[in-house]
Amino acid sequence: MVKEIEKTGIPVVHICTVVPISLTVGANRIVPAFAIPYPLGNPELDEKDEKALRRKIVEKSLEALQTEVDGQTVFED
Amino acid sequence: MRLELGNIFIKDVKFSNTTRVDSGVLYINKEEILKEIGGDEHVKNIDIELAHPGDEIRITPVKDVIEPRVKVEGPGGIFPGILSKVDTVGSGRTHALKNVAIVTAGKIVGFQEGIIDMTGIGAKYTPFSKNHNVVVIAEPVDGLKQYDHEAAVRMIGLKAAAYLGEIAKDITPDEVKTYETEPILDSVKKYPDLPKVGYVYMLQTQGLLHDTYVYGVDAKKIVPTLLYPTEIMDGAIISGNCVSACDKNPTYVHLNNGIIEELYAKHGKEINFVGVIITNENVFLADKERSSNWTAKLCRFLGLDGVVISQEGFGNPDTDLIMNCKKIEREGIKTVIVTDEFAGRDGASQSLADADEKADAVVTNGNANETIILPPMKKIIGMTDYVDVIAGGFDGSLRPDGSIEVEIQAITGATNETGYVTLSTKGF
Repeated sequence: MVKEIEKTGIPVVHICTVVPISLTVGANRIVPAFAIPYPLGNPELDEKDEKALRRKIVEKSLEALQTEVDGQTVFED
Repeated sequence: MRLELGNIFIKDVKFSNTTRVDSGVLYINKEEILKEIGGDEHVKNIDIELAHPGDEIRITPVKDVIEPRVKVEGPGGIFPGILSKVDTVGSGRTHALKNVAIVTAGKIVGFQEGIIDMTGIGAKYTPFSKNHNVVVIAEPVDGLKQYDHEAAVRMIGLKAAAYLGEIAKDITPDEVKTYETEPILDSVKKYPDLPKVGYVYMLQTQGLLHDTYVYGVDAKKIVPTLLYPTEIMDGAIISGNCVSACDKNPTYVHLNNGIIEELYAKHGKEINFVGVIITNENVFLADKERSSNWTAKLCRFLGLDGVVISQEGFGNPDTDLIMNCKKIEREGIKTVIVTDEFAGRDGASQSLADADEKADAVVTNGNANETIILPPMKKIIGMTDYVDVIAGGFDGSLRPDGSIEVEIQAITGATNETGYVTLSTKGF
């Protein structure tokens, strides 16, 4: 899906826990997610901290969308 | 470490008023076994039924399959850290009742529990149709949480296997096989010219009912470590995995791991089989990286020349498999990976979720997306209520006449990634 959308000229950020798979698949902008069963959250945190975690991942993704990349790039912390 | 495994071949299983083996027939006192395995506060009712090869019986949903075994000599007892104390097992003597298995079934715990047909085309896809199955159906109390349900059924199955295994203690086995693994320095001295081969045994540990236990430890909390292969034959590893029926390793497969068996068969002749490295398949990327780093480190530390790696399950564990493969190869050690495929119903899609050019020696155990029509059976042990929702099933899988159209991933053991399967390929 990442590749098909990019073909139309729209940049895509792939938020993904297993970064190596995303690299194999060929995503260009990759933002690591938290864990496979809960990529954008962490049920062990309280609500406030979990919201902060979610916001961080989303903001990083929006930033990645606006960043020019030269080949596959993983946006680590 | 040296283990004698005494095999007792069972020809038939019947209910009787005493539990015993007589002329190759296993007789079970139903009342006694129910008393032995009962009493869990999470379970309201347990029943036991028998299913023999060729019977028109469908068992579903299947959770675990377990071979009855007992320690006869040597330290520890069967299923250490769970049913027995945590002594290190794998030496001395163990007896096994062959051609018979405990199968736990009943109301669904996970969403990927399996089907065992005892006859017809479905029976050909599961190795467990060839056993005389002692099926334990445990009904949970109302409102029981999934995890408590799984734990309760898991313990009941193990207890039932231990109860039957106990009979084997005083029986003279039909066959005794000896397996021995020496400390690595000794075995290298003994076989200086043979390539040193290890087995990287990947265990499903994703949580959410995908769990495996090693000496009672939840394997998602281990770092990769070394085991003598014979420890595994004594039940050091057990399944708490209710997911991925076709390619999970039921406890039966851990006890009878075919890769270990084959490596032992070549040990001292073609290869020096030095031991087993167990590792996990966790849901955090850092865990995947750490565990695969450590398997590679241990392989190098042991001075291995070659490694066989088997996977359990599919999907994201494909990445653990590929990480293990490429990191071990980077140490200059040859690898063969043993896996299965999810290549779509037509077999045309990519087989694994991850890939690497180093994965150039692959053994596949079949395409789990292949569909099959299982004919109706006269008798259902358990219930077919869940067929539409188990993995491999779909809306309309269960037809009005009782036949089932499913992907073979719904069949217990159909594409097992230790090769404990009936599928094979022929070239023409």
